[in-house]
Amino acid sequence: MRMSKTSDENLRGVPTKPYDLIREGLIVVGFLAVVVVVLAILFRPPDYPPVRGEDVATRQPIAYLATCVDILAGNSGLQDYGPPYNADTTNSMKVLGIAPISWFGVRQELDPSKDFVLAPLARVAVMNKEVAGALKTWNAASDDSKAAWTKAYADALDKATVKDGAVQMAAGQYGPVPVMMNGMLDLGKAGLLEGALMSNERQPYTLDNSRALLFFQEDVDASVADTQDMKGEQWGITHEVGNRPGPWWLWPYAIWYQIPVFAKNPNADLIVGLMMLALFLILFFMPFIPILNRLPRWIGFYRIVWRDWYARQEGSGGKSKK
Amino acid sequence: MNLTKKLQRSIQKNLTMEDALPTKMPVYVNSLAYMFGVTTLSALVLLVVTGMILAIFGPDWYHVSRAGRFFNSLHFWSAQAFFGSMLLHMATKFLLGAWRDGRWKTWMIGVLTFGIAIFSGFTGYLSASNWSSQWHAVQAKDAMNAMGIGAFFVTTNFSQTLTLHVAFLPFLVIILVVIHLAFIRHESPVKPYPSKGK
Repeated sequence: MRMSKTSDENLRGVPTKPYDLIREGLIVVGFLAVVVVVLAILFRPPDYPPVRGEDVATRQPIAYLATCVDILAGNSGLQDYGPPYNADTTNSMKVLGIAPISWFGVRQELDPSKDFVLAPLARVAVMNKEVAGALKTWNAASDDSKAAWTKAYADALDKATVKDGAVQMAAGQYGPVPVMMNGMLDLGKAGLLEGALMSNERQPYTLDNSRALLFFQEDVDASVADTQDMKGEQWGITHEVGNRPGPWWLWPYAIWYQIPVFAKNPNADLIVGLMMLALFLILFFMPFIPILNRLPRWIGFYRIVWRDWYARQEGSGGKSKK
Repeated sequence: MNLTKKLQRSIQKNLTMEDALPTKMPVYVNSLAYMFGVTTLSALVLLVVTGMILAIFGPDWYHVSRAGRFFNSLHFWSAQAFFGSMLLHMATKFLLGAWRDGRWKTWMIGVLTFGIAIFSGFTGYLSASNWSSQWHAVQAKDAMNAMGIGAFFVTTNFSQTLTLHVAFLPFLVIILVVIHLAFIRHESPVKPYPSKGK
């Protein structure tokens, strides 16, 4: 049968052999399906449950309260993250003055102390008058008082203990913070934290769960990740929970985070991202990059792949018949 | 101008039946190194089939059902086979200098497919709705935001990552693979390097 003109020209003078595309395809798909079925039966990927407010509030109430008071005090890493959450670009990553993070502005507006603590507490206040009173006191207080209360509470929390599920801490000048924090803790224990975080005018079709994921993104998530060897400096994304296989093909990306000079750089994500983009462009334009496009010739692996062809050519004195 | 006739003529000229469904191969196509493209394509078929089954029953299915867990495992290993095969395919094509004699378009479409497949696989991990998804979502957002991509691709938004994973990105991958295959068959496999001294 006739081939395209290009194929005809490319294969002029090259002997051919019979080939059955469908047969080869079916054999390979069938073989691979068997391999995949066997692997799927023997090694199932892990399905470790996500970190939930209810679990943290019940099992690690001090960590839960520390997260809440940290966010309330404005110490969350998201408070001054910059775009896409808020406008403050002071901490935005930049390289040579270029900060792509700020190119598109605030697209997912977020004020952590308000959206993660005060707004959920406003819902608790509907059912709990004590919390309503504490919120009123908080809202009427000066910034200095708020800062003093949250700092005193956070410091006391460092020395707090848990007895029969209740957090025991020394008495102190915490203002309305203990009542507010107990309100948050009850919200978590009731399993309503995520619902309160995601609640918006689009209910019941609340499709964006970002806030529920971001709430524990710092110390709580990091401590779980640490126990699972999943932090960035532990080759994070390239493997699954407990060193089970994951997207290992991302090692050229993850490797940079194992090198302290990159990992400790405040602009690491941007630097590594730009390097990966450059590597991708090199790969993409490989056919046109001098020296690099000659590498296969110099490496010589092709001699193994085409050894029969070269032997055949030597046998026929360099000539081939169709 | 009849566009349909024009397309017919273009296909007849550039991708004949023998190109699309070949019954002969040049003799130099005679190595296991040529198998990785076929295994990549086969793994893609398995990925699509298992992915469609998972899509029919919904994203929660695999958390609550033994059958769902099994199909999720099949999908996972299909993805492993897909990326393993694709990297071997790319490595062998690089080592054969397969972009020679005007085949640069085939190479570039292949690399682009690889790049999009990475994002496709990544959105799969984000859509697994378990601890791994949660951790990778909050970690990866910083990298995406730093590059300015986070303004549009929100790793923490499950519904966005899920729709990207089951619809948009696989569609792109499949379209690019079809174009890649059409170019490969139109041009025929690259000839071996001339012997030394030629």
